[in-house]
Amino acid sequence: MTTARDEIQTYLTTLLQELARDAAYTLDVDADTGLFSDLGFESLDAVVLGTAIQEHYERTMPFAELLAEVGQRKVRDLTVGELVRFVETHLSTAAQEA
Amino acid sequence: MPVKVLLIGLDGGTFSVLDPMVSHGVMPFLGRFLAEGVRASLRTIVPPLTPPAWTSLATGRTPGHHGVFDFFRMDSPETRHIRFSSARDIRVPTLWDAATAAGLRVTALNYCLTFPPPKVAGFVVPGWVPWRQLRLACHPPDLFDRLKALPGLDARELAMDTKFEERATEGCSNPHEYAPWIERHTRREGHWFEVFRHLTETAPSELTAVVFDGVDKLQHLCWPFVAAEPGAEWDEPWQARAHALCLDYFRRLDGLIERMCAMVGEEALVVLASDHGFGPTRQVFHLNAWLAERGYLAWSDEAPARTGESQAVLGVGQVARHTFLMDWERTRAFATTPTSNGIYIVRAGGGGRGVTDAEYHAFRQRLVDELRAEKDPGTGEPLVARIDTREEAFAGPLSALAPDLSLTLADGGLVSILPSDRIVTPRAMVAGSHRPLGVFMARSKALRRGVDVGELSILDVAPLVLHGLGLAVPAELEGRVPEEAFASGVLARWPVRVGGRSEMAERAEIDVPDRAEEPPSSAAYAPALGPAEEEAVMKRLQELGYIE
Repeated sequence: MTTARDEIQTYLTTLLQELARDAAYTLDVDADTGLFSDLGFESLDAVVLGTAIQEHYERTMPFAELLAEVGQRKVRDLTVGELVRFVETHLSTAAQEA
Repeated sequence: MPVKVLLIGLDGGTFSVLDPMVSHGVMPFLGRFLAEGVRASLRTIVPPLTPPAWTSLATGRTPGHHGVFDFFRMDSPETRHIRFSSARDIRVPTLWDAATAAGLRVTALNYCLTFPPPKVAGFVVPGWVPWRQLRLACHPPDLFDRLKALPGLDARELAMDTKFEERATEGCSNPHEYAPWIERHTRREGHWFEVFRHLTETAPSELTAVVFDGVDKLQHLCWPFVAAEPGAEWDEPWQARAHALCLDYFRRLDGLIERMCAMVGEEALVVLASDHGFGPTRQVFHLNAWLAERGYLAWSDEAPARTGESQAVLGVGQVARHTFLMDWERTRAFATTPTSNGIYIVRAGGGGRGVTDAEYHAFRQRLVDELRAEKDPGTGEPLVARIDTREEAFAGPLSALAPDLSLTLADGGLVSILPSDRIVTPRAMVAGSHRPLGVFMARSKALRRGVDVGELSILDVAPLVLHGLGLAVPAELEGRVPEEAFASGVLARWPVRVGGRSEMAERAEIDVPDRAEEPPSSAAYAPALGPAEEEAVMKRLQELGYIE
């Protein structure tokens, strides 16, 4: 696991743990946690989370494409690990383009 | 005579509902407010839809300039993925920017498209943010914990609950769902009032804006119960209860407005405004089904079997996925969302059989002619009352992001974008839908008393608020300070100051080429202002004329 991935995972798990507490969920958030299945997200929750992540990293990322792809899955869910890899991929792409 | 300004938004507020509420004693304070102030019909922009209309109210600009056309927008010019609009899509300064730049404090509560929150000197709790994410949306960042600690405040009820909100467009599945749904909206407005009270008592702002959006939600789902006068007779007990609860909502809202006005004091300018009006709708026009029937749109293999009335409407989550329902190789025109009544024309260049530049105007005109000829199968009357082209409805540097055609249906309702066997289907129950004329009511010592000044534009509200705050009105705003609303001699002593239009004002608006000439630049879709540009914003606002 790279340092960048570590940082992203720490940021996202901390953030999602905090949001889970607001929602009175007691589970621990880790890479296998499903945003929709475990944290009870609706589509708009994921949209707002995506916007907040882009604000945090000051980068635009194709969240709409990701969520549309998730919507096509048999089981419509997105794990924290997948989200971390998505953010890492697009941060590294942005870094290469800079 | 700059004063504090309280801007109360009544989402979807309409005089056809509010006047009877006043005359029947349901909203006694509003009656007194009108007797002591000015009223006008408030003409909104095209389309009469919450995100572009509230953005026009807060910027004094039309959508072709501010860049918001719908709840949703294409994620980028290269894809057909749709995303939710955000505050980053607003390309011109807002009232919150202007007040902050002038050193004034701002509180904006439940206002549409304030997420991500603007970094105002004051407080922002955005509207249209799900309750699970509210912590991420508040400004300053510690505000959420302060609010959560308020006695009796339920963050889950304060913010948006998607499943709960979708009732407004999808309807209740059984009559017993109406009462708790209405009661929750009544409680929700109380929560927003508690946030207002806490912030006004602890750190009052010069500009405070609060939107009560239960008005819109109740009118969508419960139009027959809202529009009926007190004492109306009902066939079923649940209908009588729904009607009584709707009246209770407006009665309590009246009380909240009275308390808010008392808290800001008699010196303040209080403006009550809506983003659009409301009226009944009885049927659904299946626009994409119509386009498919004419060969302009092709469904993909993933599209479900054609459906009728039961799937005439759809929720937020499905909108983002619905483009998978189309075969893009064979689609030339489509309606993107069920909210804007807009048609996009697929342009050549991205694969498939898109419309070439040479074909564009003739193709678009053919759609217009065929839509105008389409008749309501029940009445034989035209289905479409008005069709605006992109240039007509959305003139401005961002018009290329807008639909190619925008429809106003004769029924006043919204289209469906899903497959259907029938082009027009009746609604199971009359619903409410948006109309172009909303409400404007204002009261201050500088304004006339008990006067109806006719019709104003939603674009006039921002100039009035800026003048009320003692700020110059930038020349590029498309509205005006409604001088007819002021008492005799006031404006002679307190003249409107107009800020000069500058070269910077031109540059502040992203230049997007017309799609008939070439595809829009990716720059038009990128975030407008990153944190690193905040310093530049101050200078820009100064040059725009918001500050001196």
